Amino acid sequence: MDSSWLPTLLALAWLTPLASFVFILFFGKHAGPHGRFAGTVATGAIVFSCVLSFVAMFGAWLPNNELPEAHHGDHAAGGDHDEHAEDGEHADEADHETFIRPAASPFLLASSGGDRGTISLVADTAEGEGDSAEHHIAPNGKPPAVYGVFYNLVTFGKLKLDISYYIDALTVTMFCVVTLIASCVHFYAIGYMHDELHEPYTDHEVTLTDGTHLVRKGRFYRFFQYLSLFCFSMLGIVIAGNLAMAFVFWELVGICSYFLIGFYIERHSASTAANKAFIVNRVGDFGMLIGMMALWSSLGTFAFGDTQNDQGEVTEPGMFSVLRTEENHYALAPTESMEVEGARVVGEGEEGESSHAGQWLLLIAGVGVFCGCVGKSAQFPLHVWLPDAMEGPTPVSALVHSATMVAAGVYLTGRVYPIFTPEALLVIAVIGCITLFVAATIAITALDIKRVLAYSTVSQLGYMMLALGIGGWSAGIFHLITHACFKGLLFMCSGSVIHAVHTNDMSYMGGLRKKMPITAYTMLVGCLAIIGAGIPTSMYGLSGYYSKDAIIEQAWSFAGANRGNPLLSILLIAPVIGAAITAFYMFRLWYMTFAGEPRDHHRYDHAHESPRVMTMPLVVLAVCAIAIGWSVPGTNLSITSLLEQAQPVGTTPGAEGVLAENLVVPAEQLSHVKAVKIPAGWAAFSAAAFGVLLATIIYLWRMLNPAEIRDSFKPLYAFLWNKWYFDELYDLIFVKPTHWISGLIAKFDRGIIDGIIHGTAATAKAAASIVSNVGDRTLVDGTVNAFANRTWDFGLMLRRLQTGSLRTYVLAIAMGTWITYMLVSFIMVARGTG
Amino acid sequence: MTLSDPVMFLSLLVFLPALAALVIAFLPRDNTEAIKFTALGVTIFTFILTLGLFRSSADGVDFQAGVARMQDLFAVSWIPSFGIQYFMGLDGISFPLVVLTAFLSVLAMGASWPIKKHVKAYCILFLLLETGMLGVFMALDFFLFYVFWEVMLLPMYFLIGVWGGPRREYAAIKFFLYTLVGSVLMLIAILMLYFHSDLTRLNPAQLADAGIVPIDVVGDEAPSESEIQAAYDEWLASDDALAAQLTAAAESDAKTPVHTFNILALQQMGQHTDLFDGEMWMGQTIQWWAFLLLFIGFVIKVPSVPLHTWLPDAHVEAPTPISMILAGVLLKMGGYGIIRICYPICPQAGYDLAYFVCAIGVISMVWGAFAALAQNDFKRMVAYSSVSHMGYVVLGLGVWSMGTWANGSYNADYWKMGVNGAMFQMIAHGISSAGMFFMVGVVYDRVHHRNLNEFGGLFAKMPVYSGLAVGIFFAGLGLPGLCGFIGEVLVVLAVWKYSYVLAIISAAVVILTAAYILWAIQRVYLGAEYKGPHGEALTPITMRELAIASPLMALAVILGVYPNALFRYMQPSVDHQVEQLAAWTEQYDANQAEVQQAFRGEARQVVLTDALSD
Repeated sequence: MDSSWLPTLLALAWLTPLASFVFILFFGKHAGPHGRFAGTVATGAIVFSCVLSFVAMFGAWLPNNELPEAHHGDHAAGGDHDEHAEDGEHADEADHETFIRPAASPFLLASSGGDRGTISLVADTAEGEGDSAEHHIAPNGKPPAVYGVFYNLVTFGKLKLDISYYIDALTVTMFCVVTLIASCVHFYAIGYMHDELHEPYTDHEVTLTDGTHLVRKGRFYRFFQYLSLFCFSMLGIVIAGNLAMAFVFWELVGICSYFLIGFYIERHSASTAANKAFIVNRVGDFGMLIGMMALWSSLGTFAFGDTQNDQGEVTEPGMFSVLRTEENHYALAPTESMEVEGARVVGEGEEGESSHAGQWLLLIAGVGVFCGCVGKSAQFPLHVWLPDAMEGPTPVSALVHSATMVAAGVYLTGRVYPIFTPEALLVIAVIGCITLFVAATIAITALDIKRVLAYSTVSQLGYMMLALGIGGWSAGIFHLITHACFKGLLFMCSGSVIHAVHTNDMSYMGGLRKKMPITAYTMLVGCLAIIGAGIPTSMYGLSGYYSKDAIIEQAWSFAGANRGNPLLSILLIAPVIGAAITAFYMFRLWYMTFAGEPRDHHRYDHAHESPRVMTMPLVVLAVCAIAIGWSVPGTNLSITSLLEQAQPVGTTPGAEGVLAENLVVPAEQLSHVKAVKIPAGWAAFSAAAFGVLLATIIYLWRMLNPAEIRDSFKPLYAFLWNKWYFDELYDLIFVKPTHWISGLIAKFDRGIIDGIIHGTAATAKAAASIVSNVGDRTLVDGTVNAFANRTWDFGLMLRRLQTGSLRTYVLAIAMGTWITYMLVSFIMVARGTG
Repeated sequence: MTLSDPVMFLSLLVFLPALAALVIAFLPRDNTEAIKFTALGVTIFTFILTLGLFRSSADGVDFQAGVARMQDLFAVSWIPSFGIQYFMGLDGISFPLVVLTAFLSVLAMGASWPIKKHVKAYCILFLLLETGMLGVFMALDFFLFYVFWEVMLLPMYFLIGVWGGPRREYAAIKFFLYTLVGSVLMLIAILMLYFHSDLTRLNPAQLADAGIVPIDVVGDEAPSESEIQAAYDEWLASDDALAAQLTAAAESDAKTPVHTFNILALQQMGQHTDLFDGEMWMGQTIQWWAFLLLFIGFVIKVPSVPLHTWLPDAHVEAPTPISMILAGVLLKMGGYGIIRICYPICPQAGYDLAYFVCAIGVISMVWGAFAALAQNDFKRMVAYSSVSHMGYVVLGLGVWSMGTWANGSYNADYWKMGVNGAMFQMIAHGISSAGMFFMVGVVYDRVHHRNLNEFGGLFAKMPVYSGLAVGIFFAGLGLPGLCGFIGEVLVVLAVWKYSYVLAIISAAVVILTAAYILWAIQRVYLGAEYKGPHGEALTPITMRELAIASPLMALAVILGVYPNALFRYMQPSVDHQVEQLAAWTEQYDANQAEVQQAFRGEARQVVLTDALSD
């Protein structure tokens, strides 16, 4: 298939869930008994999308875009994208000619003064890997991509808002991953939501005022309706060809998440959690809007790709092309319009000194857009909504709140990666680092099985953000993909457990591996994958092994490159400690649930393995969790090579700070050298091993009593148990003041503004009565009487007018106004012209 | 004189409801069904008439998409001694509002079925109100505009004051006085402008643009100079009263000015002459004062903080259909006045006061959102959400965001975006707020209370209604895919170019909006149990109610997904106006720069004499 098929295929894959949503919206309730077929329709739709995505990948993408051979963005000629390959080669040639480029260019060897570590690393690249002919890293050109417009929303002169598509290797990969996991979740949900087919359905979580449990109709179809809408929205983000469109679908996944978290609308906790999720996300969107405004007003475009005319000339360059021009060797440089726009915001520089206004504006834009990602990906400080989101049914937690939607923030950060300045990247890294640590610590004490997984999700998302922030683009995105598989798996396993024992609380579980072996051992696979189990420094391991080690390696490389700033080495220490904590709480979870003796015999006796429709998806995802990091035997097709193909323009050589001068973001390629790989690999391995060992000692061998440990660290335990008091803090500094201000404003309206109005009215009334009284007293009786007679007559006449008919009144008032006006205008005319 | 003549067609459109009101006056009082059906039939027929404008016809009356100029323009001399004309027409700015008005009138009449008291009077007033509203949007003569403005005000007063809730009299008087103050200010401004206007100062091309010199144009092509001159000569030679006046004025030596109420002509004067530039009071020009008075008059109607307190009271007391009309159409008149009258007639004042206008908009957005959060009355909350949403309109209209392209030429694209966004927001808000008020009305009709804390669990009892209501509330929340989003995002994105501080504040409002709407949804529709009185009355939505709610929902989706459906009619006119103002600004800035340079060169005297002779 030609690659011109890609937009059609993916658009079809994107729109099929929408069709399913519309169908279920109108006919779902009547589709089969209790809407049973709604599940079939939705599942069929997403499976169809999945098939289309894989067809797009293997039929249209791979045949036309040869995968890179080595760690280099050098694309072989072929397909429709010859010009891109040429771009890359051209850049390479240029690099050969000018080995040392100006300081602005992100070039490690020449620039990081006195940093011997880096130099030796590069030397190692040549010796150790032996696959790189060059001693330096040339910036990559534009990755092969297909960009186009579905339809135009609105155009203002040169400003265009479109519904468009931007399809590169990342898009196609994400389509496959999202639809695959969504298909598994759909199948699983058919089993999990089976209760909702019962008529009537009793919700044991809701107690009515008369003491009974709520009895209501089943809502099976509605669940699938939301799932379909969600899939459509999520794929919309992935296919989006511009930032505005991404924002549109961004909000839509937010609303789907709102509906799904609040699926049990009768539960107050669920609807509150749904509100919290949406509002907290909106806080992030507020930042995102600011970033979008900064970009929009300075670049005038949101497009990711370039619009080309029939001759293949670029007519309207996209954001990335404008910011990273070929003339500038794809290095990030603010445009002239950005300098002007930035100067308006941050002010002009001193005489003869650059204010870096453009850089500042780019920083604002980058951090702004990242704010949206902070909200959606539940990063510190907006991470508080995600654990509460576990109020939703478990398939939702698996799909929306771990595998796909929350990863959308990471995806978008990766998508707009070329616009991030090194300083913005540092912000991303720091946020990610804080998040991964905070969330991991909270997960240690949680007892709700889904909450442990939720905090683990937050923590893993932190890893991804950290990776992106320290220059590990493929490491971060790779982890996003592997995490989607194993976290989806873990959640669905936990759902299977909850389905069996009807509680989320792990203190009622234990020993379940005998009752539900498939769930237990697929979950063990998930646990091993998340801790990154593998043979250190070898090529063998579960999916998490590759991605997590890649992140730690990049962190190692980053710490090495920024040796001048010891504070930044926290960005290495935290993820390593985090890896240990991850291993600890994951195995704590597994041991508490499946190992040992049952703690609650009643629940244990009633537990049973879930039906096949639920366990089959577990097995599929377990296979993915093991193998998704591997390359297809005999080829170089793997997620990593696909990601390498999608490497954002100009980002391979890393970058150097302009505003923060000592900041170095090392090239990702440098983290693959032995001098980094070996120590980082061992560090990651030993951290994880330590965590597992500790969990085993405490929860399996019971050599230490958890209760005793808890007592000896009481304040710390309370701190973690209360989730670092974030909810209380936010309530105190945001929620309460907002309500206070709104109350004040409402009072101001009623008291002050209306008070003034009423005061004015009263004054006018008083003045009128004074005038009339004074007038009464001073007027001579005779005149009054004479007037009175006339008035009497007039009154008699008026009485006839007082008909009580509204019609007459309206007429009279209209005429009166008109006559008044005429009088006034006559007077004015007389004065004006006379 | 057939219907294919604009005079007939537009007059019929405007006055049909009033005529019907006259007919209803003769119907027996007791036959309420017949009266209601007559009124509904008339509103439907009026709506069909507006739809008739969509049909493109070679010789008849139609409204072409993609055309910027006034269409279906006609002028009939009315009070010649004051130059007052019966002068109406449509362009992309007014046409969508006319259609919206006719459409919402149908729905509001449908929503009026539960009205039991004085049905006959109600229907008469309702139809008069519709005539007034349609007239305001079509009138191009300032005097005519004012008459319609007042015609609309009075029925509204009675509709609130007679058919309203417990505090109806207070609310009606408050509404009336507030609006009357606005009207008075407007009247003063109108007279100010009238007495400073002078048609003799306009050249033939400008007279043609003002619709005074009739000229045949096809599509959007500008007529050539010779064509204009020919048309002008022909017109002068005709027996048109105004032509005779102009000829007389030209012949006499006294230089008698020819005053006019023609809004289009006033626009031409404001932009191309210095007629309104004279100093008036406190060192400010005539147009500065006119702008301020008009703006206050219109902003009361919008309403913006701090002149907004009539709105919550009026809404809370007004019956459901009147709330729909009030929020859906009447508030739009303020925005319409600002874009049609304030800016084009008084560009310099608009330029000077742009920040003031924008700040009013932003304050309203924030203020309304905070106040909505504090309300416990469902309808009051929706009313405050209107204040907040209409703030976007004022902000979008106010942004004078002139940027420059790389080559130094003026770039009005962001400005266009802001004004178009504001116009879109007006229509979108017309749909979503009318829908929200209707949705509140549906439950109020059943349980007779509006206390947000005494609802809950409506989803279980009224699933279809709740689904539609949540959909419409989300349209108000500005969810993508629904109409509210487009207007808000266009305005917010456009503002940064003008002022990033205002842009950041306005972007922050999205958080508050989400908060108050979601909280209300949670308290009313979600939850396990209904907490208030008359729970047994919560029956599923009726067909009548469904017929009113679903078109609104459908429109919200269509405009949200395919905004070009509206923009193709609206945008050319808005863009055209912005381009004219941009050209004016360019000229003005150049003059200012020249003046400043001259001052620096200490050539003060020369400039002053130049300026005087200009």
